[in-house]
Amino acid sequence: MRNPLSPAALLEDASESSYVRSLVVGTVGVLAVLGVLGLAFPASVAGDLAGIVFSTSTAKSTARLAAPIVLAGLGGIFAEKSGVINIGLEGLLIISAFVSVYAASVVGVGNAVLGVPALGIAFLAGIAASTFLAAVFAVVCIEFKADQIIAGLAVWLIALGLAPFMSTVFFGGVNTPNLGVSVGWKYSATMVVLATLGSWWLLNRTAFGKHLRAAGENPKALDTVGVSVSKVRYAGVLLSGVLSGVGGSALALSIGQFVGSGETMVQGKGFIAIVAYLFGNYNPLGTLGAGVLFAGLDAMQIRLQQLGYAVPDTLVQTIPYVVVIVVLALVGRTQIPEAAGEHYETEE
Amino acid sequence: MSDSDPDADGDPSVFARVVAPFVDRSVAERLVISVAAIFLSILVGFALVLVSGRIAECSTAAWTMPITGLGFCYNPFEVYVVLFNGALGYPFAVGDPGLFNPGWTPFNLSFGLTLSETTLLIFTGLSVAVAFRAGLFNIGTQGQLVVGALATALTVLALAPLLPAGPVAGLVLIVVGTAAGAVGGGVWGAIPGALKAYADANEVITTIMLNFVAANVAYVLVLEVFRAEGSSVVATRYVPEYAQFPSVLFPPSTDFALIALLVGVAFIGALYYFVEHTSLGYDLRTSGVQAAAAEYGGVNAKLTTVRAMTLSGALGGIGGSVWVLMSEGRWMASVPDLGFDGITVSILAGNNPLGVLPAAFLFGILKGGALEIGFRTDVPTELVAVLRGLIILFVAMPEFFRMIGRYAGVGGAGGASDAGGSGSADPDESAGGDGGEADA
Repeated sequence: MRNPLSPAALLEDASESSYVRSLVVGTVGVLAVLGVLGLAFPASVAGDLAGIVFSTSTAKSTARLAAPIVLAGLGGIFAEKSGVINIGLEGLLIISAFVSVYAASVVGVGNAVLGVPALGIAFLAGIAASTFLAAVFAVVCIEFKADQIIAGLAVWLIALGLAPFMSTVFFGGVNTPNLGVSVGWKYSATMVVLATLGSWWLLNRTAFGKHLRAAGENPKALDTVGVSVSKVRYAGVLLSGVLSGVGGSALALSIGQFVGSGETMVQGKGFIAIVAYLFGNYNPLGTLGAGVLFAGLDAMQIRLQQLGYAVPDTLVQTIPYVVVIVVLALVGRTQIPEAAGEHYETEE
Repeated sequence: MSDSDPDADGDPSVFARVVAPFVDRSVAERLVISVAAIFLSILVGFALVLVSGRIAECSTAAWTMPITGLGFCYNPFEVYVVLFNGALGYPFAVGDPGLFNPGWTPFNLSFGLTLSETTLLIFTGLSVAVAFRAGLFNIGTQGQLVVGALATALTVLALAPLLPAGPVAGLVLIVVGTAAGAVGGGVWGAIPGALKAYADANEVITTIMLNFVAANVAYVLVLEVFRAEGSSVVATRYVPEYAQFPSVLFPPSTDFALIALLVGVAFIGALYYFVEHTSLGYDLRTSGVQAAAAEYGGVNAKLTTVRAMTLSGALGGIGGSVWVLMSEGRWMASVPDLGFDGITVSILAGNNPLGVLPAAFLFGILKGGALEIGFRTDVPTELVAVLRGLIILFVAMPEFFRMIGRYAGVGGAGGASDAGGSGSADPDESAGGDGGEADA
């Protein structure tokens, strides 16, 4: 079988610089997937396909769908760069998605508290919930030296149970009623771009970023300089909570409802987020590229359904996962921070 | 059975004798931590029920707190009584004179459901445990189960018309179907194993991804190709009744077969023997503990990784077979979270095959009891999913319990070994302290 992804080309750049690689992966990836689809469909469909790719509605839904992936992915970078692998991003997205919808319903859409409109309150509540859960995770991992993978798994499973539980308590079912609001795609796009640029600047241009990277690569050196490794790690994990909170709230509020059945409305976006930052090699810009790529695929799939093509949507949804496996197989171990996953004991 | 005595009958290596006391001690410690974790998560769950009972709206309070006079919509005591008592089919007559319910028999519907869950969780728990012993984190048991279940259903459906209906054909179909499930799950597990061994791809990520791929691809396959005619849900046809595990003693509606449970228990014994007493199992364990040392000792680490993941996947696949041939009778799209529960079971069991039995039983009770909670109380059954997460969280932080143990050791009755107590945690001492804490 021919593979137009031409991973060899990706590989050559990969070793050079993470920045170049991220951009290459992003753009080549988009084009390659287009190529795959172009080959897979007859010429008549290809026309439609091009129309879909360059249509504004696809761009809008891409912007919406990218928000939870990119924002949680950026959060994942901060946590992992500091030396804490956070595979609980999915859980953080779930909890913030639910809490934001709940808060909006309590305030009442259209109402305001102390001049802050309901949707603003909803965002803040979602961020607070996600940050709180991230804080619990941080304490468990940093203070009590838990295995980060297991604790992250616990965060996911707790949220997976807790959000539908609370939804049933408050609304009598695992799905909340629809609030009839929809945060526009422009807000999502703005948040994503600002967060990406902000994260890049924070990581690469500030002392905090330097400390963060040191905490993940060489905690002992950081300790020697007199900076508390655990404080830096707390900051990294809490930032992952804040960013995931924005992402989860944006996801739920763009629809106006929390869906808690099955794997909830988050549907593995937290795991895709992990993949996005691995794909982007821990670079916020690369994460943006990968996140937009995955979201774009999803958006195109939705459009294809609307145009009446009988493409089983679940099959299209599978593409990002398969792409991830293929890329991981070719690139292998990403440049994971040296001390990620390890506990650090301050020497006295 | 010689499985039960771990003493040197198989390989009397020096290594085993040196390591034995350490292993035993850590087993005891894991046991105490598991019990304490369950206790703590029940405590947190209690608080959760209380708080949500205060928030939820109802006409009459289900429970009124003494002294304060506050009314709560949910009764937290009732929740746990219903959970544990109900899962067993109400053997205890709570509130009535006499502790035991005289009309109780073990072969009731609720207990059957509990044992049915237990049986399934034994396989997924073993699946995760085997990978873990080799130092691999298999989050993909869910996907391996989905693939195995589909392989089983399709194989049995394809073969059934070729054989004359009857108990003999049933036995053949069950055996062949389960083998197909093992192969399906094994192949699905071998993929991340090979990727890990030969491409250095992180198995945590690849197994999670393969879960989604398995669920989606199986869904589309059944939707487009294998869907039963006239079925309103995405599901295959039912496999013939005679090709399903027969339910003996328990009511057929429990979807439980004692034979399947016995097979599960046999697997536990076999796996324990394999891990502890065979050279392949030894390779597996040493790769898990010290990959570099294992390699130096002549173990082919890459091959061991692939083997361990294949075995793990095969066990997950057999779990899928049992799900099809015992519980569901067909493959259907809404596969329960058995793989993820298997992670909890394995972690709770300290990744020891022998520990999987009690852990799976405990989880069977939680899941069986959840149904009872749904029937008898207003409390959302998702509570049990929260408990699952909490248990994992608490088991993940042994240091927390060691700290409690140290506190209890200082103040309490313990303090037998005071020589090196203050420094790094002495497992014996902390275990003693924790035990006291868990009983309190």
